[in-house]
Amino acid sequence: MELLKFITKRILQVIPLLIIVSLISFFIIRLSPVDPLAELRLNPSISQETLDKEIKRLNLDKPICIQYLSWAKSFIKGDLGYTSAGEKVSVKLKERIPNTLLLTLVVIFMTWAIGIPLGILAAVKKESVLDRTLTVLASVGMAIPSFFFAILMLIFAVKTGWFPVGGLTSYDFNELSFFGKITDIAKHLFLPAIVLFTISLSGLQRQMRANMLEVLDSDYVKFARAKGLSEGKVLFKHALRNAINPMITLLGFEFAGLLSGAALTEYVFQYPGLGRLILEAVLKSDINLVMASLMMGTIMLILGNLIADILLMITDPRVRTAKDGEKG
Amino acid sequence: MKRVITLILIILILGIVLKACIKRDIPYSFPERIEKHDLEEINYPPDNKNVTIDGIDYLQSQAPVGKFGGELIVSTIGEGPKTFNPCNTKDATSQEMAGIMYDGLVTTNPRTGQVEPLLAKSFEIKGDDYIIHLRKGVKWTDGKLITADDVMYTYEEIVFKGLGNPSTMDAMKVDGKLPELVKIDDYTVKFTTPKPFAPFLRQLSYSIVPKHYFKKYSDQGESVFNAFLSPNTPPREIVSNGAFKLKEYVAAQRVVYERNPDYYKINANNQKLPYLNKVVYMIVGDMNNEILKFEAKEIDVLGLRGSDVARYKIREPESDYIIYNIGPNTGTMFLVINLNNRKDKNGKPYVDPVKHSWFANRDFRAAIDWAIDRKSMVENIASGVADPLFTAESLNSIYLNKYIKGHPRDLDVAKKSLFKAGFFNDRGVLRDMYGNKVEFDLYTNAGNLEREALGVMIKQDLETLGMKVNFRPLEFNSLVNKLTNTHDWDMAIMGLTGSPLEPHDGKNVWTSGGSLHMFNQRPQNYKYDDRLSWEKELDEIFKEGALKLSFEERKPLYDRYQTIIYNQKPIIYLYSPLRIIAIRKKFKNVFPTSLGGLIYNLDEIYID
Repeated sequence: MELLKFITKRILQVIPLLIIVSLISFFIIRLSPVDPLAELRLNPSISQETLDKEIKRLNLDKPICIQYLSWAKSFIKGDLGYTSAGEKVSVKLKERIPNTLLLTLVVIFMTWAIGIPLGILAAVKKESVLDRTLTVLASVGMAIPSFFFAILMLIFAVKTGWFPVGGLTSYDFNELSFFGKITDIAKHLFLPAIVLFTISLSGLQRQMRANMLEVLDSDYVKFARAKGLSEGKVLFKHALRNAINPMITLLGFEFAGLLSGAALTEYVFQYPGLGRLILEAVLKSDINLVMASLMMGTIMLILGNLIADILLMITDPRVRTAKDGEKG
Repeated sequence: MKRVITLILIILILGIVLKACIKRDIPYSFPERIEKHDLEEINYPPDNKNVTIDGIDYLQSQAPVGKFGGELIVSTIGEGPKTFNPCNTKDATSQEMAGIMYDGLVTTNPRTGQVEPLLAKSFEIKGDDYIIHLRKGVKWTDGKLITADDVMYTYEEIVFKGLGNPSTMDAMKVDGKLPELVKIDDYTVKFTTPKPFAPFLRQLSYSIVPKHYFKKYSDQGESVFNAFLSPNTPPREIVSNGAFKLKEYVAAQRVVYERNPDYYKINANNQKLPYLNKVVYMIVGDMNNEILKFEAKEIDVLGLRGSDVARYKIREPESDYIIYNIGPNTGTMFLVINLNNRKDKNGKPYVDPVKHSWFANRDFRAAIDWAIDRKSMVENIASGVADPLFTAESLNSIYLNKYIKGHPRDLDVAKKSLFKAGFFNDRGVLRDMYGNKVEFDLYTNAGNLEREALGVMIKQDLETLGMKVNFRPLEFNSLVNKLTNTHDWDMAIMGLTGSPLEPHDGKNVWTSGGSLHMFNQRPQNYKYDDRLSWEKELDEIFKEGALKLSFEERKPLYDRYQTIIYNQKPIIYLYSPLRIIAIRKKFKNVFPTSLGGLIYNLDEIYID
């Protein structure tokens, strides 16, 4: 019950936020001197009538406030409109979202499954050879710019021929057997996933290590040890539960980045995800597409935070009581 | 002591590594000038013939007989097709993709540029009448016959109504009137143009679409028709008539075509073409990725950039590809000067009257032309893979005025010309006869490295004459806005794509009321006749050129128009890039031409 109230409250708070975000982004895009018809205007074989027709179709002849209102109206109805090329925005997004989700989910799963244990290990074996090696590796991982690493990986793929150069499936994908399809996708996913994995792993591992160290240094851990609990119990029952809390907030942010976080890597690897789509849309001032993706990003961010808060309420009793206190 | 040894060792290793890098690097200069006449060594097959077997009118390829099977994988840069509806394509990629699936009545002979029948068996021209005979027994991919009804439908209900992309309708209009179309029998139709209109015949290359499949969508009006055949249409549902039909579209990844087993083209052994089982278009985001894909052997054809040509040429002998130079492309790169002397709504002149007095002076424009060093532009910017350009028609145009030879850079001529126009050089600063310092802005679109480099070179070239040039790259859309709406610019570096076959396509640029008459843009519905004498002559030429039907009659007119532009220089042409394309050697029946490109004959190409 408490939880439900909290969720409704948060969702209600979202509405003004969405309005503000959409207003700002709509006006910034529309007021920028980008003309969505520029290419058409420079085409010698396009007549004035055709241009006028296009202007009308894209609503460019109306004042900007009216444009915003008509966009907002259809957005509330759940209609994302058409791209400037005349395709349905919802269809375009639907084509790309699963691909981006596949990549980011794989990466998040890998980083968390490996990053958290490594962080704990490094904290427990502080100052050991293992810890130092991990520190060096983490620094390297954080220092390499993702696009540069991605390009290196592409060159690696070309030189060795072990991995395909970009994309998600081979051209004969549909003729492959079921297992062939899985290996094909895995082969294509490997390099972009490795790039994203290396980069986010370092941060996560360092964060977890720092959290864990802080907790291990605290009085209650010392007390637990003094009490004579086994080291395993101290670590997993007392220390870890406290150290993991900040990570859950982080997970919320990761959720927000699910759809947009990999844009740069996607671009280099020609991965058929949302990043490439949105980049093109922005360059062409394809307003409906850009707005749809921005709104989606905002909603994901809010949702991510919400999920993190709920998870925190479950794992951390302190948050729960604080919330109750706030209310009372 | 130990330290010194370590230091020496490090330096040694570093040196060796660096040396290795140098050795592996490829020289920037050309090993040899790329031969310009690659295409002359190709043995082109004779033209296609019409053959009737069992009552079906086939088109017979005369190219060597090949083997069936295999696939050709090519690439397209960008986001892929936006639609497969050939009547609604608004960008080049969609046009190419839909063009594979749908044939038109006629096509262009890729070597001579003349119009020849394709889906039509033959055509007769009698005055303003164009009688088209269709092939009998040719089928759509769903087995229905292609008849005059489909042709009638395509033109009357789509083209003439301006559904989808109306540019063909615009191009077919003569004085605002459309041609008439009559069905004579099931396999014959007749077009009648209101006046003799030369560009008309070529317009008949418009894709013919199946009435029984399209009509239910076109009847529902514009918005339904525009969404029809979007890339997500299930391929099995699509009815087409081209050599290949759609097999699969995967967003942002690829478009796969498969052989149309019922195509009307046959080889010399009367076997049905095409040879290839599949043609795959990989959708790649940029050129770098395209090159990587070619190196990884994921694609079979690669258009080379100027800077890569030397590297590929060196490796060609021991590689599995062959490089063709198919000559200049249809693109033109130019410097345009604003001759506009009109005022905006507030009475402020678009161009400062002082500057206008320079720009309007032919000798001033000539001085600029003579001061520009096209040769070093070609060498430095296009890596030698381009030809200097002096004409308004692109170098592969069949209407190119071959008498315009152009000229090298000559600063003396430029200076004389400026002197004649009353300019003088005051300690390195050029001033006009009233003592005004010659200073103006030069724009181009930011982000286009080639044009930015051109701007820098032009600035340097003109500064040797004492002019002060403020080079300002602008965001593309803002630049277009300046050129087409606000008109507040001095000079700009731009490029346009021309048609190598039909100079009339440039009428929006050259006629005084055209929407792209950049150098002297008049507002819409402009009432005053303030045309310059040569603008009047250009208007006349474009009016008359469209009325004359034969190439021989038209050629002198369009020669004259190029001469006028060359003499008046409102637009100063710079160069045309050459197209250098690599294709894997295993593909046979590749007959590249300057007009058709490399793989225009997808139905004849086979793998050996």
